[in-house]
This record gives sequence, structure tokens and C-alpha cells, in this order.
Amino acid sequence: MGLSVPAVAVLLVALLCLDPHGRVGSAPICAHGPSGCHVPSLADLFDRVIQHSARMHSLSNDLHSEFEQYFLPSKNHIGKIYRKCHTSNILTPNGKENAQKLAREELTEVILKLLMAWRDPLFQLHQSMAHQQDFNSFSSNKALEMGDMAHELRKGVEKVAEKMRVLGMLGNSVTGLSAAEAMLPLSDSGEAMSDYELLYCFRRDSNKVQNYLKILKCRIVPEHDC
Amino acid sequence: MAYSLSLGLLYLGLLCGNGLVSARSELFTPDPSRGPHFTGCRSREQETFRCWWSAGIFQNLTEPGALRVFYQTKNALLSEWQECPDYTHTVKNECYFNKTFTHIWTSYCIQLRSVRENITYDETCFTVENIVHPDPPIGLNWTLLNVSRSGLHFDILVRWAPPPSADVQMGWMSLVYQVQYRVRNASHWEMLDLESGTQQSIYGLHTDKEYEVRVRCKMSAFDNFGEFSDSILVHVAQIPSKESTFPTMLVLIFGVIGLVILLVLLIFSQQQRLMVIFLPPIPAPKIKGIDPELLKNGKLDQLNSLLSSQDMYKPDFYHEDPWVEFIQLDLDDPPEKNESSDTQHRLGLSRSGSSHVLNFKSDDDSGRASCYDPEIPNPEDLASLLPGHSGRGDNHPLVSRSISSIPDLGVQQTSEVEETPIQTQPAVPSWVNMDFYAQVSDFTPAGGVVLSPGQLNSSPEKKKEEENEKKIQFQLVSDGAYTSENTARQLSTEVPPSPGPEQGYQTFPTQAVEGNLWNGEYLVSTSDSQIPYLLPEAPPAPILPPVSDYTVVQEVDAQHSLLLNPPSLQPAICPHSPNKHLPAMPTMPMGYLTPDLLGNLTP
Repeated sequence: MGLSVPAVAVLLVALLCLDPHGRVGSAPICAHGPSGCHVPSLADLFDRVIQHSARMHSLSNDLHSEFEQYFLPSKNHIGKIYRKCHTSNILTPNGKENAQKLAREELTEVILKLLMAWRDPLFQLHQSMAHQQDFNSFSSNKALEMGDMAHELRKGVEKVAEKMRVLGMLGNSVTGLSAAEAMLPLSDSGEAMSDYELLYCFRRDSNKVQNYLKILKCRIVPEHDC
Repeated sequence: MAYSLSLGLLYLGLLCGNGLVSARSELFTPDPSRGPHFTGCRSREQETFRCWWSAGIFQNLTEPGALRVFYQTKNALLSEWQECPDYTHTVKNECYFNKTFTHIWTSYCIQLRSVRENITYDETCFTVENIVHPDPPIGLNWTLLNVSRSGLHFDILVRWAPPPSADVQMGWMSLVYQVQYRVRNASHWEMLDLESGTQQSIYGLHTDKEYEVRVRCKMSAFDNFGEFSDSILVHVAQIPSKESTFPTMLVLIFGVIGLVILLVLLIFSQQQRLMVIFLPPIPAPKIKGIDPELLKNGKLDQLNSLLSSQDMYKPDFYHEDPWVEFIQLDLDDPPEKNESSDTQHRLGLSRSGSSHVLNFKSDDDSGRASCYDPEIPNPEDLASLLPGHSGRGDNHPLVSRSISSIPDLGVQQTSEVEETPIQTQPAVPSWVNMDFYAQVSDFTPAGGVVLSPGQLNSSPEKKKEEENEKKIQFQLVSDGAYTSENTARQLSTEVPPSPGPEQGYQTFPTQAVEGNLWNGEYLVSTSDSQIPYLLPEAPPAPILPPVSDYTVVQEVDAQHSLLLNPPSLQPAICPHSPNKHLPAMPTMPMGYLTPDLLGNLTP
């Protein structure tokens, strides 16, 4: 209020003109052609994504084992009774042949759907594990890492899908991810799932994702004996 | 809340799945004590699986068809019980699920039923990926990497191939391997870390020992190991070392011997020098400024002069307080006062009308007795000094302290007997130990001086000249304080013409003393009655601190000023101790009284 209008105007102009973001435009990194930087091939991308998914699945297995040891020490392996996961509604191929028979676009879509469905529940899992004193900080860090990994994996798979689409390997029948809504983890009775159930389900789903990616890669990137 | 719900669900699962087939264990050994039960379910390649059961104790059910397996896939779609799709003909009690019936990531529940009796003997639930036990790797072989230089150890590289049933090319199963080895027929297998590749090197094996190596695998991120492969034998014969170690040893031995000889020679040749280096001589004691040779060989005179010249030998109190006081008691005058004070009786000597003079003096040039002989006056002499104490006989105040109460003495005297110093015992030591100095604590109106007891620990000296000496050499007490003019004047007015016989007081000499007894330490006055008093500043009664409060009036010079420092006098005065040369007292020409004051005092 103390400043006069012209002064304010001058300030504004100065800010705008001197703003580095305003003056510097973003340039692509590999503007100088393929020799300038290394553009990863689709095979490389797939490898990275598959490694990522393997790591994620390993983490989920560790957490699940810890949980089992900690909370269910008396009976190892209480029979794995059927637990309905919130992702059970997503139709997934249940075997190698089934997955191989599935179209690439559908397979990709299934992968993305799965990953999307786990975005919020993993965050929820980390929150609840962090608050419980039963878990040590190491476990809750693992849960956090797991959630981050799922997020990154989804981004990676999206990039792969984009690349595939660019290369013409994928038809346009792949629906956008906007259609895949995040699902709330609810059990049959409609109540929120427990940590153990979440871990159990995610362990299974991460294994699915890993195997689907491998099958997809084998189909897209022609390799020997694939 | 959710947690309790999950716990409830788990307990339900407990009830349902009692004969459980875990993902980890293989229950192939049938339990004979139980009834019909499943002994295990396994998948080899994550595409098919099999289940086995046993009839247990119910031997009547062993014929085929008596027990049947039903399964149910628990997913969203199917929920009805179906019978085992394939009972293996070749293997007893096995149910085989082929690819069509195997659904990964799906929960299966299988039941063992006896249809005839419609009893379900056993039920278990699992998911297929959790019961995968891969087949053992194939093609295990080894190659020698290297042998150590000593020929005792060697390293090998072990290779294998993944099981053919596992689809690792596509990555449907990602396997990790574990290699184990042991010395042949030993009991304990050495386990190496999990390896995701298909080769592993083993280090540190011993030659001439036979080893067994085997490998197994499992799916990564799962916990079920498959069976072990067949063991292979590894053996490397020890190559006898061609190089001879003999000359090396010889050279070494000779070298060591030569070195030892050299060292001994060196030591013997340089013995003296080495002795100095290793055992340095201890330095002799050294006194600064003094030649140690003189100490050893010099004459005593020289030594004394030498030592006396050292600062450290000067008595400290010379520096601290030059006002050394000396007490000289003149026992000529009879005691003037009947009333006794402490000091009177302490001194006791003033009572005596004898002409004995007890001189408790020492040399002027030292605080200690240089011309000082610890001559002990006879007790009789002492007794004669105390005429006032009649009827005492042997008891006199100078008797030692051990006589605590002398009945013939006045009451006043009893207290004094405990007093310290000059009431010394007839025994020798007390005299000897008597303090040489007394501090003037008070002045009597008659002009006498009252001494305080405390510091009288120097031994008195009975000089030979004491018969000649009629006077008491007076020592002035001061705290280092001068008398003021006024007090001196007062003193002078108070002084009666005649000193009178005061008991126990030390009186000043009324006549000039020719010659100096010791250091000229007396006051010279022209008139008879002149007793220049010097009033100490100290309060009358208290026991004053020792020695440092005394000053020594050395002489009165021509200007009638008191010199309180002893001039350096010849040691000839002290014939008894010719050898005691003590350092001369530093002269301090400070006047105690100015000539004016002195004039006032001497009317």
C-alpha cells in the first residue's frame, strides 16, 4: 500500500524479465542427435522395468515373511486360505499360456491396472505400519520403499507402453490410464483390509506383474528361445 | 479393530486348514500314527503340480479308490468341489494337476475324502507359486582355476545348467542357486552364497583331498529349495615341489650366524662407548658456586667461609625481621613489686638481690648463639637469684614445670609455673631450650618492663662476664613499631628517679656501661635515673608472637640515636666458640629514636 503504482509496475516488469525461468527455455537433452546421448532401446527399457519389478516383489516377500514370523509365530504357514484381494476383480491370466495368449495391449493394460490399483493401498499400508509400534522402522521403511517402487514402476511401464505405441507395436486399443481408477482396498465384508492381507495380496500381485512383464518382453523384443 | 478382525479370520483358517500343506515344508514322510492325510503337494516348474497322500493307520483304505481327492479353486469364479483330474497310475496315491488345471496365483483347497463313508479326513490350502520346488540343476562340472605356489591349495570353477523343466529363458522362473561342498565323507557341508548365475568359483581347497560338490536351486523371492543335484568329485594331486628349499635355509642360517658374530665383535670393540651410551653416568651432586673438590678436601675454615657466603645458610629471620631481640637479664636489682606478674616470676631473677646477672644473650651478629655456650646456671645460682621467695627452699619459681604447684608460692605464682620459658627447670635441657628472647609486653609504672612468656625458648647463657655486669641488658620489644614522641615523653615523666626495687622487672641500666658486653646493646644514659624506656606498642598482657617482634638495640651512638642493628663485631667476644662463624648480621642503620626524642627521655 505504501508503494505507488508505477513502482509496483516496475517491480513486476523486473521480476518477469529477470526471472530465469521466463527466459530460459527447455531444450531436449538429446537435441544433438543419437550420438549426443544414449537413447535406451525398448529392450533396455524392458530390462530396467523387469529389474524394478523383481526388486519390488522381493521387498514384498520380505515384508510378508517378517509379518508372518512376527505375528503368527505359533503356526507356521497357517493354511493360505483364500483371501479376496481388492484386485481380484481385475481379470488376470492365471498361467503362462494364458498370459502368452493374451494380446500385448491387454497384457500391458492389465499390468497398468494392477499397478494403479495398488497406489493408494500401499500408501495406506505404509501409514499403518509406521504408526504401529510392532513394526520396527526398518519394516516401515521397506513399506515406504515398496510404495515408491510401485509408483515408479507404473511410470516406467507407461513409458514403455508409450514407446511401444510409438514404434507401432501396440495398437490404439490400449485405453488411457485415466480409465483405470484407483481402487479402494476393501475385503468382502466391505471393511478395510488388514496389513497382513494387504501384504499377502501385494506379494501375489507383484509376482504377477513381474511375470507379465517378462512375458511381454519376450513377445515384443524378439530374443532367442523366447 | 481391523487387526482383531484379521486375527479372527486367521483363527478360522486354523480351524479349516489343519492338515496344512505349507509353502516351505515337504511332508513326504507319511505319519503312520495318523489317519489318512496329505503328505505333500509340489510343483516343479510352476505350471503343473502334484499331490500325494497316505492312508495312514487305516489300512483298509489302501486299495485304490477308497480315498479320493477333491479340490476347489478359490477365486472369484469357481467355488465347487471337483475331483482330482488325474490320478497317476504309475505312482500310488498321487494326484496330478496338468497345465489346464493349474492356475497360478490362485488358492487351492484339496480334501481327502472317503466317499463310501463320506468322511473328509484331511484338507489343505495353498497357492501354486508357494509350493514350487524347482528341479535340480544339471550338467555340474568343475575346472581348475589355479594352484597355489606352495602346491597345497587350489581353486576351482564350478559350472552347471538350469533344470530343463524350468523356463528361465523367458523368465517365467527366475532361479538362484546354492553350491555346497565338503571333504569326501565328512559330515558337514560347506555352503556358499546364493548365486543367480550358473557358475561359481570355490577357493582354498586342499590338494590331496577329495571333495564333493553339489548344487540346488530355488525361485528367487521364494523359499523352497529344490532337490540337490548329484555330487561331483574334485581332486587335485599334490605336485611335489621341484624347487629345493635346502639352499635357502642354509643361506638364512649362515646369514644369521654372520650377523651375530658381527654384532658381538662390534660390542666388544666399542665396549666403553656403548657403556656410556647405554648406562650413562649419574651426575655427581653439585652445589652451585661450590667446588666439589673443596668439599672433599678443603679445610674446615675454608668450608665454613664458603658456606657462609651462600645465601641459603643465612638464617631466614635475618631477612624477615632484622629486629632481633635479645634478652639480657640483669639480676642485680631486687624486685620492686610485691605483686607478682607472670613475667616476674618467670624471670624470677629480678628478685634476687644478688649480683648475678643472668645473661640470656647471644652474639649480636646472629640470631642464634654464636658466642653461645649452653652453659647451664646452677640451680643454686638460680635459687639465690630469687631472694623474694623465701621459705621456699628448693622451691622457687624457676623450678620446672613439673612442679605444678608450689605451696609456698603465692597464688600468683601458681599460674606462672605453667608458664613456659624462663621458668626453666633446674635440669639442663630446659635451660638449654629456653627461648633466648622475651618480648616485652608491658611496662610497669616504675619503669620496668614486663616480658611476655611465649617466646622464651632460647637458652640463657651465663657468661663469664656476668659477675662483672651489673646491669641487665635490656631488650626492646617492639612489633617493629617505634615509640611515639608522646609515649616516650610519658614514659619519661613516669619514670621515677630511682628505679627502685621492682620485682621481676628488668630495669634499665642506670649507669653507663663501659665496654660493650656483647654488642653494645644497651642504652647509655647520663643520669642515674635515666632509664630510657621504650614503650612497645603491643598491649600489655597478650602473648606476642615470637621472635620477629623483637628488635635489638645495638648501641646508642654519638647522636643519641639508637642503633638497632648490630654492627659487625669481632668474634673475639665469643671465646667459647671460636669456630662458629656465623654470617654477620646485616647492618641496618635505622634509628629507633631520634636524638630529639632521646633528649626528651633524658632529662
